[in-house]
Amino acid sequence: MRNNRAKYAFLMPGVIWILLFTLFPLGYSFYLGLTDFRLGREAEFIGFDNYSEILGLDGDGGDDKALSTAGFTAFLAVGSTSMTLLAGTFIAWIFNHDIPFVKQMRAIITMPLFAAPIALGFLGVVIFNETSGPVNNILQGLGLPRVNWFISPWGARFAVLFTDVWQWTPFVFIVVLAAMQGIPEDLFESARLDTKSNWLLFRHITFPLIAPALGTVALLRLVETFKAIDIPFSLTRGGPGQVTQTYSYYTYEKGLVGSFQLGEASALAYLMVIVAIIISAFYFSRVSARFE
Amino acid sequence: MATISQVSEAPSQRSQVKSGQTFIIFLALVATFMALWPFLFAITTSFKKQIDSTDGTVIPWVQYEPTLLNWQQEFGGGGGDATFKALRNSALIALGATLVATILGTLSGYGLARFKYGVGNKNLVSWFLSQRFLPPVATVIPFVLLFKELKLLDTLPGMIIVNATFTLPFAVLIMRDHFAEFPAELRESALVDGANEFTVFWRIALPLSTPALVASTLICFAFSWNEFLFASVLANRDWKPYPMLVAGSDSVRGIMFNFVTTRMVIAVTLPVILSLMVQRFIVRGLTMGAVKG
Amino acid sequence: MKRLIIFVLLASLLMLGTLSVTAQDTFFGKTADELFPIPDVAANEQEQELAFQALMNANIPDGRALGEGKTMTFGVLGQGSRGGISGTIYFWRNAFEAATGAEMEIVEIPYNQLGTTIPADFLTEQYTYDAFIGAAWQYGDWVSNGWIQPIDQWIGDERFPQWSPDDTAPAFRALLEWDGQTYGTQMDGDAQLFYYRYDILNDPDWQAAYEEEVGSPMPNPPTTWQELLAVTDFFNGKDWNGDGDPDDGISLHLAAGGQGHFHYATLAASFAVTPSDGDDPTAVSKYDNVFWFDPDDMTPLINEPGHVRALEFLQELAATGQEAQFGWQLGDAWDNFLGGNAIATFSWGDVGSLSQDVNRSSIKGNLGASVIPCSSEWYDREIGEFVVDTENPNCVGNTTGGSWHPTMSTFTEEPELTYFFMALLANPSINFYNATTGWQGIDPCCTYQLYSPRGNATSEDYTAVGFDAGDMERYINSYGANVYDKTTYLTYLRIPGTLEYIQETLDIRLSEAMTGQSTAQEALDATAADWAEITDDLDVDSQLAIYQASIGYNP
Repeated sequence: MRNNRAKYAFLMPGVIWILLFTLFPLGYSFYLGLTDFRLGREAEFIGFDNYSEILGLDGDGGDDKALSTAGFTAFLAVGSTSMTLLAGTFIAWIFNHDIPFVKQMRAIITMPLFAAPIALGFLGVVIFNETSGPVNNILQGLGLPRVNWFISPWGARFAVLFTDVWQWTPFVFIVVLAAMQGIPEDLFESARLDTKSNWLLFRHITFPLIAPALGTVALLRLVETFKAIDIPFSLTRGGPGQVTQTYSYYTYEKGLVGSFQLGEASALAYLMVIVAIIISAFYFSRVSARFE
Repeated sequence: MATISQVSEAPSQRSQVKSGQTFIIFLALVATFMALWPFLFAITTSFKKQIDSTDGTVIPWVQYEPTLLNWQQEFGGGGGDATFKALRNSALIALGATLVATILGTLSGYGLARFKYGVGNKNLVSWFLSQRFLPPVATVIPFVLLFKELKLLDTLPGMIIVNATFTLPFAVLIMRDHFAEFPAELRESALVDGANEFTVFWRIALPLSTPALVASTLICFAFSWNEFLFASVLANRDWKPYPMLVAGSDSVRGIMFNFVTTRMVIAVTLPVILSLMVQRFIVRGLTMGAVKG
Repeated sequence: MKRLIIFVLLASLLMLGTLSVTAQDTFFGKTADELFPIPDVAANEQEQELAFQALMNANIPDGRALGEGKTMTFGVLGQGSRGGISGTIYFWRNAFEAATGAEMEIVEIPYNQLGTTIPADFLTEQYTYDAFIGAAWQYGDWVSNGWIQPIDQWIGDERFPQWSPDDTAPAFRALLEWDGQTYGTQMDGDAQLFYYRYDILNDPDWQAAYEEEVGSPMPNPPTTWQELLAVTDFFNGKDWNGDGDPDDGISLHLAAGGQGHFHYATLAASFAVTPSDGDDPTAVSKYDNVFWFDPDDMTPLINEPGHVRALEFLQELAATGQEAQFGWQLGDAWDNFLGGNAIATFSWGDVGSLSQDVNRSSIKGNLGASVIPCSSEWYDREIGEFVVDTENPNCVGNTTGGSWHPTMSTFTEEPELTYFFMALLANPSINFYNATTGWQGIDPCCTYQLYSPRGNATSEDYTAVGFDAGDMERYINSYGANVYDKTTYLTYLRIPGTLEYIQETLDIRLSEAMTGQSTAQEALDATAADWAEITDDLDVDSQLAIYQASIGYNP
């Protein structure tokens, strides 16, 4: 029995903390989503009206800003996930060779992961600056056209995307590199008797063996970009117009800027929570076995 | 199990085409440079006068005359107080949050690695980690109202609570994985000798956990240090952390390259240096169990 | 002989007086160096000297009875200790602390956080700030929520630094007031005026070239938007500054969040606002002197034909400058003009003072300035038709902008100490100095900055700080004309939710139209729909009542 007490004594502080500071707020937020609460005014319970307004179930066409910001969020999530996977895997493949100073170089490559996204956004403002930013200067130097990063909608979408990709490629890199190094060497040795092509070796040996890790990391990346707000907040302020506003950013603006419509914003946020729960269910069905 | 420290011992046979070796090294250098370049750019620009800041030059003394002016303005004079205060706030918030997250994470991690729970350990671990998947904007709204009632807005305990909450999953995961590798015989023989579970934890498991504790601490610290969203709503004067100052660095008069990059360098230096110290644990700590690092 | 003795006596007295003034080189025991240390506060010795002079001339009373041992907290738009608006607070903090013995804490609030930080502070009952600087368009929220308090009781009280609302031009004074009470102390006076290159437009060669190409004499300076467009169109793409590259016609800041909506409002006013036909042209009716909403029912007017035409015109005008404008914040647009790359811009008074800063401007001595142009085409809402009249264009003035100034929190525990600092900044000597610095972002507001007959400043006041007399003549007089001479003005939107109406909606829709994501009509239709929803959310009846009061409409 003493054992039993100890067992819960270890676990419970963390559990209680999360119940208090995550689940309770989430429950509260669900309740708020059922009201028309604005900070500073009386709240009224309105059932699922917020949700039907956002989703257009009231026949009023829905919240087009929620829709368009969700669209950009999807663009960012899919774009960033696929680009970081490609780039990260490629760099991992490079570093899976015998290279001098590999530790030092790997350390440098992981640096972007630890830089505050809000600061990276501002650095992006400088780097992508149309008239004097280095990116356009480099493009021009290479004989390519200068890009209106913050003026053209697609320029701005890609400026946000590239900044996010730059920050998160190292993440895919370290995961995939670890997976590659888990591949037994003898598999390569026997395969080399049949082919000398690096590509074929990658295609038939490395890739199938790192594929599970890639799947898992893709889900992680999806959910991370899905929450993105810092980079568009500082890099583009959601512009031009509203094309680079993410769904999180829109929710933030709804609830925490100007009129503080906490009720409607909570409903918006809850829709995102549902999607997050679905993705995380997928995720943990893949990885949780090893936590037993 | 592959650990990252083995990278350097990667057998040379892996690269099968020896003649391609130079090219591979070249590619590795390019990748490294791409990661490094924006930092270098920010650093050089932070030592430029405003008039030189947009001219595209990169090499100090040769191409432009470096100046300490931007740094003096950030750390001296009228703006210096704000800089020091925000950095102090960031440090105290991050330290406090790290302490809370690491203590809770170590206890829970030990429990999850040593004992079997009725609901299933994998479910419990997943439940801890799933906090990391929640969009922060969903919890920040209730936090505003709760903190208002609890008088925690713009206080150190309030800021510690939010940061500890969202870094806790890192700590749980790192510590659980660490204790899971802890030799079971050590614990059992101690228990046979009459020690209780807490003594085993305190006297035997914990003293052998320094590397994992360091990793958990540094990762929690770095992520708390970088947090902006919660701070932007929950702190407005006394406990504004440095990212709030960074958020104010776009002037309505247009972007000043030298000024923005100086604040950027200040903001990223500490966590980036910390990251260099925890290389071995990055995979394990950040990937939420995606890869057993 | 007697006269001579008296004269000598008088003269020596005067000299003594001068001597004692020069001898008095401390302010409450602090030297210029302690109050404005270089480079921490002042940038150079000239700045330090002029600032100290301005401080000594302000006759600041001893405030130590109010402030000894106390602390006040001041919230301000955050742009750093050498940035616009917030720089002013840092600049005078030492002087305030010396005069009162109090300590002042400055809390910077980023521009893009203004809508969160200040309301959140009050709504969550933290009451952090004793005073804060925001934009005048937020009065609707602040006053109706009871967050700021009137300050009339202290104005003129000898315990405080002296200033008078009577010095402020009436158009600006209205922005310090709400319902007959004064809430703000004078600081910045924002109005957009028209700037151009005086040297180029007066160059006979360019005038001849213009006439040859366009077929009519060059309007100098242009007085209508249509004339301005013809001029910027002519100069755009020509190398008129001789640097070997094609140069720009107009220079505007049109980025989302870059305050481009002010350009739109300034321009659209003369396309959409009509004066009253009766004896008083400023009388507000359902059709006249209204811009934002129908004063009878809060129907948005923003997608009416006059507004749509104005936005289309802004698109045409922007096309006579470089494409990068659509990503510019206001500083970028200024720098392009100040750097001598654009023939014209319309913007705030900052351009006037910044043009004199040779570190930032290459056009000192060549600055042309004029009142904001009129429009020869406008929409008459009463008859529902466009009117075209090139002889008698429609002229509408503006006070667009934040007119950034301090207001006092209702919840401050130290109202008198707080007012002391607010009044110090409003003191004519200090405010005059601030407005001449350029970098502080403080623009002229008051008679002591304007030339006769509108005010009592003299050319020497400006040449004394190193400004070009010709530039100032044009700039100051245009500024005065802008705020005194127009018969009708763009009404200032001061209702609850202004931030949502303007920044979160109009600004975004404008940016969409300017970057080609939608047409002018679509963008403004969408704005109108958004506005109707916002008004609905905030309650139509209460919004209508406040709107009517704010524009002086009696149904």
